Amino acid sequence: MERIAVAKVGEIAEKGRKIITINGMEIGIFLVNGKYYAWRNICPHAFAPVCVGRISGTRLPSRVYEYIYGKDQQIIRCPWHGWEFDLETGEHLADSGVRLRGYPVEVDGEDIYVVIKQAVANQS
Amino acid sequence: MTASSSAPKLIDTDIHPTFANRTKDLLPFLPKVWHQQWIESGTGTGMKPGKYDGTFGRKMDAFTDEGGPPASDPAFLIKDHMDRYGVDYGILVGPNFGISLTYDPDYANAVASATNDYLVEVWLKASPRFRASIVINNSDPIAAAKEIDRMAKHPGMIQVIMPATSPMRPYGQRMYHPIYEVCEHYGLPVAIHPGVEGVGTALPPTPAGHTTRFFEIHNLFCLNFLTHINSLVTEGVFEKFPKLKFVGIEGGISWLAHLMWRMDKNYKGLRDQVPWLKRLPSEYIREHVYLTTQPVEESDDPRHLAELIQNIRAEDMIMFSSDYPHWDFDNPEAVRALFPRGLREKIMADNAAKLYGLTETVTAATTTSA
Amino acid sequence: MSDKPLLIDTDVHNSFAHRRDLLPYLPRVWHQQWLEDGVGSGLKPWSPIGVTKKDSLSPNGGSFANDPHTLLEDLVERYEIDYAILTGSVSMIGISIHFDADYANAVASAWNDYLIDKWLSVSPKFKGSIIINNNDPMAAAREIDRLGSHPGMVQVMMPSASRTLYGQRFFHPIYEAAERNGLPVAVHPGLDFGPPTPSGFPSRYIEFHNILPINFMAHINSLVCEGVFEKFPNLKFIAVEGGISWVAHLMWRMDKNYKALRDQVPWLKKLPSEYIREHVKITTQPIEEPEKPGQLAELLQMIRAEEMIMFATDYPHWDFDNPKAVLNEFPRGMRELVSGLNAARLYGLEAPVIS
Repeated sequence: MERIAVAKVGEIAEKGRKIITINGMEIGIFLVNGKYYAWRNICPHAFAPVCVGRISGTRLPSRVYEYIYGKDQQIIRCPWHGWEFDLETGEHLADSGVRLRGYPVEVDGEDIYVVIKQAVANQS
Repeated sequence: MTASSSAPKLIDTDIHPTFANRTKDLLPFLPKVWHQQWIESGTGTGMKPGKYDGTFGRKMDAFTDEGGPPASDPAFLIKDHMDRYGVDYGILVGPNFGISLTYDPDYANAVASATNDYLVEVWLKASPRFRASIVINNSDPIAAAKEIDRMAKHPGMIQVIMPATSPMRPYGQRMYHPIYEVCEHYGLPVAIHPGVEGVGTALPPTPAGHTTRFFEIHNLFCLNFLTHINSLVTEGVFEKFPKLKFVGIEGGISWLAHLMWRMDKNYKGLRDQVPWLKRLPSEYIREHVYLTTQPVEESDDPRHLAELIQNIRAEDMIMFSSDYPHWDFDNPEAVRALFPRGLREKIMADNAAKLYGLTETVTAATTTSA
Repeated sequence: MSDKPLLIDTDVHNSFAHRRDLLPYLPRVWHQQWLEDGVGSGLKPWSPIGVTKKDSLSPNGGSFANDPHTLLEDLVERYEIDYAILTGSVSMIGISIHFDADYANAVASAWNDYLIDKWLSVSPKFKGSIIINNNDPMAAAREIDRLGSHPGMVQVMMPSASRTLYGQRFFHPIYEAAERNGLPVAVHPGLDFGPPTPSGFPSRYIEFHNILPINFMAHINSLVCEGVFEKFPNLKFIAVEGGISWVAHLMWRMDKNYKALRDQVPWLKKLPSEYIREHVKITTQPIEEPEKPGQLAELLQMIRAEEMIMFATDYPHWDFDNPKAVLNEFPRGMRELVSGLNAARLYGLEAPVIS
């Protein structure tokens, strides 16, 4: 395993997200509720660049005709077909069995690192 | 279920009783104040566009021995249809199920009630092999709920029937919920049936206006079925009323693959528009919706329909229907042959037996000591 | 005390300066919709994800589809597309539903000239559609004749929204002109003239999107039953952006009814399904996603629709189909037909241009 520096703490705090490339793979770095997350920039549905999608809240599961807003700034919505993913867990809100591919993130001082296997398998 | 010899083997979920004399037969059940209107205008929805079809609308060999209209005599119907094919139970749909599209809701309420009383007196009392559908006027959902409450206690009434064309909105929307509430309470499925497209208060039968001829509209009955099943699921009706069942009569089957696939795909992207749904739309459909076979789709290869049903896992959703005495009546023998063993029994009897609680044939029930 | 009589104004229209002025009073869950859609655009239900896929928007909010060069890069080059059939925006396609026929005629013609001038000139990979106002069929026929022989124009374009069904004689001058010019007629959904179902309006966008094929089924049924394909035997019709598997039910049902009611349509010489197979094409997007891969292809093979299906992305819309993902649904053999051969034969397009 190898950790690769991808960003500075300050730069993500400002913009909320940064997309970087490691070993030819695009990965989105996100700051959510004070923690950092790294997700592969490929949507499991039809391979869209999911990490460039809009970040927002959502309507939580509810009773009929009841509307409960929640997970503010925690949901990323795939820019194509709108699949909602929880940025903290990577789970697709409509089907928890589907998720984004994630990588561990470490913060050391001002630097943010993504932890990645050295040899990268064929990308799907 | 089919292991028992007392279980029904053939349930026909769509038979249409008809007045022997349209102007007279309903009068004993209708308050006097409405008699003139009934005699002069019937259901008041006028001529169906392009209804003339040259086939008289009925199978030509179904006139009664006295020359009466087809399906107007309970005894003849039993002989001509149910005994001939070994139908254990026949579920009557109508008459007057299109009354919801009449302009005057009070008149429609009265006609619906009278029709239900007529069905009990003339048909349900004629044979224990008949079951019937409660006719309502859904343009007045509160009155409709009261009528269901009134008729639900009669054991022969086993579902509620509405026209496939809604007078107001797709059927999932909230103004219809009082009807679903009382149906769920009594364990009565809600069924829809086409035939009154584009008449009375209804919108044109397609989003692009009226059709020209009967042949044309008859090809498109499924449009309303797509509309309402989609609406019922997305409006959360099956979440709000988890025991409610919905029956689509005479709308066809094979479009269901498209609808399930499309709804599931869209749900994955637009879940937040319907946050009350807890599962895929297709799962709600599989658990709450039934479709009847007639007019059975005739694919080039007869096995294709069965394969399609199996691909979308709809085996428990399909129920045989004949639509006697209409011109496009399905012979049970011909339909039975389309389906492989296993699926066949479900479609010809078991799914309907389970839905409507018809677990024993009449003979078995009467020979079993109480 | 004044002698002036009391003066009361009983109708004064005030409003807020900005939509956001209402936000403090509105529950949070509704904020996005209010800001984006206000009282409601009236044309169709609001979608929380909008119409355009987000990665095809430039920083200032403009779509890459609005400029031929950005479109070439963002779509044609990225996905190695050989030909892109340009259909225009949904609202431009929908010009036919405008109430003022003269205005609609003028706008349609202007669009077509603009398309030739600013788009078709940029790349030989671009092919265009002649947008017409079908509410004035004679004018529409003239427009088709005017541009029909332009080598870059490969079809005629109309909305699926219509006051009347497309088989009816009102529209026949259009089919006559299209057939005369060797051009198929394509139909595309999006705007509605009235309720999109026979039972009224759906509540939300997802519901509306689920049943878009309803109008296609009605139109194809009408075209066949009214004998349009007998009267215009070389005419082809394309249903764009309706999905594909609903055509099985339509074929089976129409054939069955025809066998009983043939005398209502005595001008038909073949089964309805045969007319559909020979004259109708359907584009894939938004492609259905069955539970098990292959089930969609299987259904299409049941009805022998392999040559009816043409791939489409619907770029730049949100429900865009990625050619690298969806074509895998089809087995080899069928895949080549769907991916390009069916369209090449229909539009008379040769082997790819090496640019």
